Amino acid sequence: MRRALLGLLLALPLAAQAAAPVALKAEDVPALLKPPAHGVRVLALWGLDCAYCESNLQALMKLQRAHPREIELIAVATDSVEQSAALEQRLHAAGVDALPSRAYAEATPERINYLIDPNWGGELPRTLIIRADGSRRGISGQLTPDKLATIP
Amino acid sequence: MRQAIALLFCLAATAVAAHDGHDMHAGMSMPKGPDLGASAAIDGKGRLWVVDAADDHVRLRHSDDFGRSLSAPEPVNAQAEPIYAEGENRPKIAFGAKGELYVSWSQPRAKPWTGYVRFARSTDGGTHFSAPITVHHDLAEITHRFDAMAVDGKGRIVMAWIDKRDLEAASAKGKPYLGAAIYTSVSTDGGATFSTERKLADETCECCRIALASTPQGEIAAFYRSIFGDNIRDHAYAVLHANGRALEPQRATFDDWHIAGCPHHGPGLAIGADGVRHAVWYEAKDKPTIHYGQLQPGKAPAHAQVIANAGASHADVAVNGKQVWVAWNQVDAQGFALMLRESRDGGASFDDGRAIANAKGAVASPQLLLWQGRAFVAWNTAAGFRLVPTEAL
Repeated sequence: MRRALLGLLLALPLAAQAAAPVALKAEDVPALLKPPAHGVRVLALWGLDCAYCESNLQALMKLQRAHPREIELIAVATDSVEQSAALEQRLHAAGVDALPSRAYAEATPERINYLIDPNWGGELPRTLIIRADGSRRGISGQLTPDKLATIP
Repeated sequence: MRQAIALLFCLAATAVAAHDGHDMHAGMSMPKGPDLGASAAIDGKGRLWVVDAADDHVRLRHSDDFGRSLSAPEPVNAQAEPIYAEGENRPKIAFGAKGELYVSWSQPRAKPWTGYVRFARSTDGGTHFSAPITVHHDLAEITHRFDAMAVDGKGRIVMAWIDKRDLEAASAKGKPYLGAAIYTSVSTDGGATFSTERKLADETCECCRIALASTPQGEIAAFYRSIFGDNIRDHAYAVLHANGRALEPQRATFDDWHIAGCPHHGPGLAIGADGVRHAVWYEAKDKPTIHYGQLQPGKAPAHAQVIANAGASHADVAVNGKQVWVAWNQVDAQGFALMLRESRDGGASFDDGRAIANAKGAVASPQLLLWQGRAFVAWNTAAGFRLVPTEAL
């Protein structure tokens, strides 16, 4: 019993760490944009000051769970990685903290926006769909069921 | 000695408590370097005034040499409070008819996206400021932020802000409501008090700054991102009559950008002595685009033209006679350029864009300022505040 409790205590911090966003620097962007070996990689760009972002992440996560082999989904916060605690808390509250998560680590976030997609003005939520054939498609705003259906 | 140590402990405990309080109120704003949201204005004597925020104080600086040197900052709010000072949310400054300094800002509350619009004034040239007041009479812990402030021809202070009371009311009844409302309030006593706010419009964008400009009649007009139908986020125009006359917003841009999202990208407005409403705005239906046009509320703008595309953001506009200036931030993989396009024919055509300043680090939205027919761009950067002349050298 005591051992089980100890195990639980040890596991708790690990569970909490699952959503700790990993720093995304300008030099990390090419790897993030590299086409996946198969299927699609979806970057779900979101921010703390965005009333539509959490529901968009939830919809994307539901889709990813329905197509786990085809879709790799990464939550990318445009807020600074220095705000990790607030970002984690928000992801956790939305029930999407199991997703791999990144956050900007750059003094000029607009520069990373531009590197990720020059045809994106920073509006959130933004979904970038990267396919194995190298093609990319960006969609601004909360995804409608129709648009979600085009991803897998 | 023991007493001194005890006192030290008391002080330390107070400091910790104050810090906790700060974190609680600031909610999502963790330490991450100074926010750059700032506003500037040049008074009739050519003195530049700048407000921004640092360490929970709006701070005021001035310059008598057009920004080459700035005075030491003076706090506007004596008592620390959280302050929004990033992106489209930035402290504002305006002048009264007798040289009063009026300062407004938005104060984050505990929950995400909530805020109070705050106001303070100085009648002695910035040496002392009144204790800040909350402009709106509704004190629910909801969104009242993205304050905009202007002084009309009769010296009245006109405020407008984004307000979610109607969204909250609709949500409580399970009714749909897109975005947020805009409310407006007027002070006729130099900022001692503000009238009970009234609603300008329902269902407007919840995260874009409101542009204000004076009409030739001395009234204040607003140009803002609204929502039409199913999340078509085009712009509307309305005169904010300070005399109680009905407010009549009209759609003024027709790009049909559909987005259920946060553009964080409000427009700019400048009205000529001839009444021409020069406007700049952003949309990204096909690709990121800054537009210029002359508003004709109710129908499409005249002389509409594209100012800039990819990487361009946060444009502002100014007019003096036939001269029209548009300034914006242009980002690429290297960093930022402050860009300018100028028209000498009243906005019918613009010359090519040129970079008038560059920055490697973070920058705030540019703000065009006029003084005696000359245009300057106030540009707050991580490396410091700059007032950039627009004349080609």
